[in-house]
Amino acid sequence: MEFKDYYAVLGVSESATPEEIKKSYRRLARKYHPDVSKEEDADAKFRELGEAYEVLKDPEKRGEYDELRKYGANADGSFEPPPGWHSASGFAGGGYTDSDAQHFSEFFEEIFGGARAGGFSAGAGPRGSHRQRSMRGEDVHARLALFLEEAFHGCEKQVSFTVHEPDPNGRLVSRQKTLKVKIPAGMREGQHIRLKGQGGPGTGGAEPGDLFIEVQLAPHPHFTIEGRDIVVAVPIAPWEAALGATVTVPTVGAKVNLKVPKGSTSGRRLRLKGKGLPGKHPGDQIVILQIAMPHRHSTDAEKLYEQLAEAEKDFNPRSRLHV
Amino acid sequence: MSNPDHTLTVVVSDDDGSTFTLREICERGDCHAEFVIKLVDYGIISPREEAPEARRWEFDVAALGRLQKALRLQRDLKMNLPGLAMSLELLDEVEEMRRELARLNQQMQHLMGEQ
Repeated sequence: MEFKDYYAVLGVSESATPEEIKKSYRRLARKYHPDVSKEEDADAKFRELGEAYEVLKDPEKRGEYDELRKYGANADGSFEPPPGWHSASGFAGGGYTDSDAQHFSEFFEEIFGGARAGGFSAGAGPRGSHRQRSMRGEDVHARLALFLEEAFHGCEKQVSFTVHEPDPNGRLVSRQKTLKVKIPAGMREGQHIRLKGQGGPGTGGAEPGDLFIEVQLAPHPHFTIEGRDIVVAVPIAPWEAALGATVTVPTVGAKVNLKVPKGSTSGRRLRLKGKGLPGKHPGDQIVILQIAMPHRHSTDAEKLYEQLAEAEKDFNPRSRLHV
Repeated sequence: MSNPDHTLTVVVSDDDGSTFTLREICERGDCHAEFVIKLVDYGIISPREEAPEARRWEFDVAALGRLQKALRLQRDLKMNLPGLAMSLELLDEVEEMRRELARLNQQMQHLMGEQ
């Protein structure tokens, strides 16, 4: 078991006053709240904070913790409580306040008697009071990243997630669950999929919870998504822009031919109806034209450009800059 | 009970109109109806159709997600209702801007890339 340095977690010194501890906790809780923070391990950080605060805000627990801290960790950083250790401020007596105590660490449980040992009282959330009661299973929220091609065509995906369920002794244990899910064509970023009854199991004959999957789209090297529309930048040669041309453009589905109108300029948007994300109201593909130049010109081409410069000498490409 | 060989066909919640009544959403959120009614009053969540009787309200999956977020923020950060309303709005805005920024960055790369 690893020793947890709750002072370091809260970023305060050992001699911090209760006020300082509270202040630091509040600041860090805002920063790492999983609904607010975009940091990758915000979830774990936030849980750690809650656990550290649970101990340090309570003078009795803090006293016990300080004592253990003096007793110290082993040379390899592992930790065992002193023989015969028993917390006087333990949670079995219903000392819980308002954190999601289910997720406290092994260290915490060893020292203060954890949530999983059961018996904590009101206010500990829906999963706390699982014993003997008929209780609907928990809803599980998961995210699923799809490639654009998968979202476009629909696909079959394996989804793994964790559910919590009571074991025969009434202790909450987590279990990894895996489902194969058929994703319909045309899913968009942020859309939810609901799988009825695939969440945590209910207790006492109650219904299981649902699984909610939020779809995320991985960035694509060529396409971006605007609502149901798919946007792609398509380079064309200056003469294709000037004279008009039929060019082949990619869509997520298949290649299509696109007529570039004569006299097109860079940045012009052309719409391919119904070539966006499929669905009841399929989106369009939007092509943004981009005039591309060869990296080098032949002597012949340079001569032609000289003629062009002469023929178009009234054109000032910088007129909007007033120069 | 885990059975990866079994393929589940999905119901897309935005389209299938699956909704929760006030009672159901309270059960799922593990909160009192008064709290949900207050969230509706503050415009934090809204039923699909604004009916005068709360008993006839129907909420979609997004509303459930927001309710749960509101409950977590209230529990963890001790926020009151006006604070919740404002934070959730700002969080939505931030999320939307992040997406937009990512999209624009990507699009700009696509536009510049081939030069």
